[in-house]
Amino acid sequence: MLDQLDGGAKTLRLLVGDNEIALTNLDKVMWPKIRGQRALTKRDLLVYFAGVAPVLLPQLRDRPLTLTRYPNGIEGDYFYQKHNEQAPPFVETIGVYANNRDQQFMLCNNLGTLLWLGQVADLALHTSLARVDPEPDGHLHSTQFTGSKEQIEASLLNYPDFVLFDLDPYIYSGKEGAGEEPELNRKAYHTTVQVAQWLKELLDAASLSSFVKTSRAMGLHIYVPVLRNFDYAVIRSIAETLGGFLVRAYPREVTMEWSVEKRAGKVFFDANQNARIKNLASAYSPRAKPGAPVSMPLRWDELDDVYPTDFTILTAPDRIESAGDLWAGILDAKHDIRALIDSA
Amino acid sequence: MVSIPVKLFTATESKDVSFRQLHGEDNSRVRQLRWCAAEDKEIPYEEIVRGYEYAKDRYVVLEPEDFEKLPLASKHTIELEAFVSADEIDPVYYEKAYYLEPDETGMKPFALLLRALEEKGLTTIAQVAIRSKEQLCAMRPQDGRIMLETLFYPDEIRLRNLEPVDTVDVSDEEMQIAFTLIEMLEQPFAPENFKDEYCDALMTIIDAKLEGQEVVQAEEPETAKVIDLMAALKASVEATKVGNGKSSEAGTKPTRKASGRRRKAAAG
Repeated sequence: MLDQLDGGAKTLRLLVGDNEIALTNLDKVMWPKIRGQRALTKRDLLVYFAGVAPVLLPQLRDRPLTLTRYPNGIEGDYFYQKHNEQAPPFVETIGVYANNRDQQFMLCNNLGTLLWLGQVADLALHTSLARVDPEPDGHLHSTQFTGSKEQIEASLLNYPDFVLFDLDPYIYSGKEGAGEEPELNRKAYHTTVQVAQWLKELLDAASLSSFVKTSRAMGLHIYVPVLRNFDYAVIRSIAETLGGFLVRAYPREVTMEWSVEKRAGKVFFDANQNARIKNLASAYSPRAKPGAPVSMPLRWDELDDVYPTDFTILTAPDRIESAGDLWAGILDAKHDIRALIDSA
Repeated sequence: MVSIPVKLFTATESKDVSFRQLHGEDNSRVRQLRWCAAEDKEIPYEEIVRGYEYAKDRYVVLEPEDFEKLPLASKHTIELEAFVSADEIDPVYYEKAYYLEPDETGMKPFALLLRALEEKGLTTIAQVAIRSKEQLCAMRPQDGRIMLETLFYPDEIRLRNLEPVDTVDVSDEEMQIAFTLIEMLEQPFAPENFKDEYCDALMTIIDAKLEGQEVVQAEEPETAKVIDLMAALKASVEATKVGNGKSSEAGTKPTRKASGRRRKAAAG
């Protein structure tokens, strides 16, 4: 299949298992050329998806998707999409009550779907932190996701697998215009690493496992897998409590301020991504940023030795080959927060 | 009447130390809720309307359209009404100072006004719309630019009848002592010689506490920190479970990129 993709044809009918997928506009530029890297096309994206599917698909499995589609690449307009009537039959869907109505959300549970997502230029794979599959720890909650707000709130989709910590540095290089996001700079990344390590100390002290990956630009995402005992509101409150600890201990480096101006010079500790159908780019997902960076799982002991731009859809496959799938066991590393705090 | 298109920049800022209200038990943020007194429940922002209390507990409700009907001068235009001598304006009228800059199309009339005010040594009284409120203001030349001071309207100045003090007897000797004292302290006005010592002292205390806290946190035995953390986690879990069922939906919180929003989740 990789040979077929690499063959140079502009359009292609690809057979994946029993399913045929029509791939078009393969030479369309998705990520324009930047210094040190050629322009990347839809073909590059599909080659990446096909190559890393064995590690990427498990991260997406059973999690409702929000597509972020960039039909004309990262410099063109983009739009979000949760349901799509034109999706091929092998794209699994699930009815979910969201925005005051039932909608058919898509799930990426097979290679065909992943490649189709590439075909429709879904440049960042955003998924829910909650899964629709009750195995193995979600049997106490309903799998009735449609009908009403009450139904969805009582359902598995309100009980995330992770406490998520989103560390986002507002440390500026000095070259940004007024109101612009911080540019890539080493100080921002290394301060974020420092904050992540302080957070890990807290999590270790509480006997919680933690997994770290690069985020959009210079930030880091930390995922703490937990048994599905608590809904988003409680999970968010737990994240806020840990954030509060860090802000008090390191007020010069960490902030939970809402006002962007007040975050300047600090790492923003964002607990609010722990919310239903708030979607985060999955591990190994490309990002719609210049150079096609990938949200790359990292070992805790290598944070200081790597840099977020090291990982792009061109370099990530080699990295994954040498480092292995660091997030393979993430759902097996769950802890029971209820038991932890009850025994405290 | 002349009107000149201009831009306004606030000339002053208060350097007061501001504090957040915290719950003393756990240092978590105290949140303000919009509480409906009749239904005894929290209500969303969308359900809030503005009511004018014309008698105790009696309101007339104003809709956004009502405000739109109000006559209001263009935001960026200043209507000159009168020219006066600055010493005619009692300082009690001065409210807030702004720097005035000409809009691109207003360069010429702006320069003309500045020169004329400088030559005549006069202050001009004008009307300007600031934050959807029509403001009375005074403009005067200062170091080659125009300063604008918003003025209170006369009905905004409180009247207070005091016992007249000029009936108190004062001897010539006492007057002489007062004059001597004044002469000793008479000097050009130099505001840079004064500073807010209360504010400085407060910041010194805050800095010391911040320093101290970092040291204390670092030296704290690991077990104490963990017990502390677990207790805080337990408290936050319990607290959230009680008020649960309304805050799980994404989008009920302001988005993280929203600039200028001050609401923030409790950092318990």
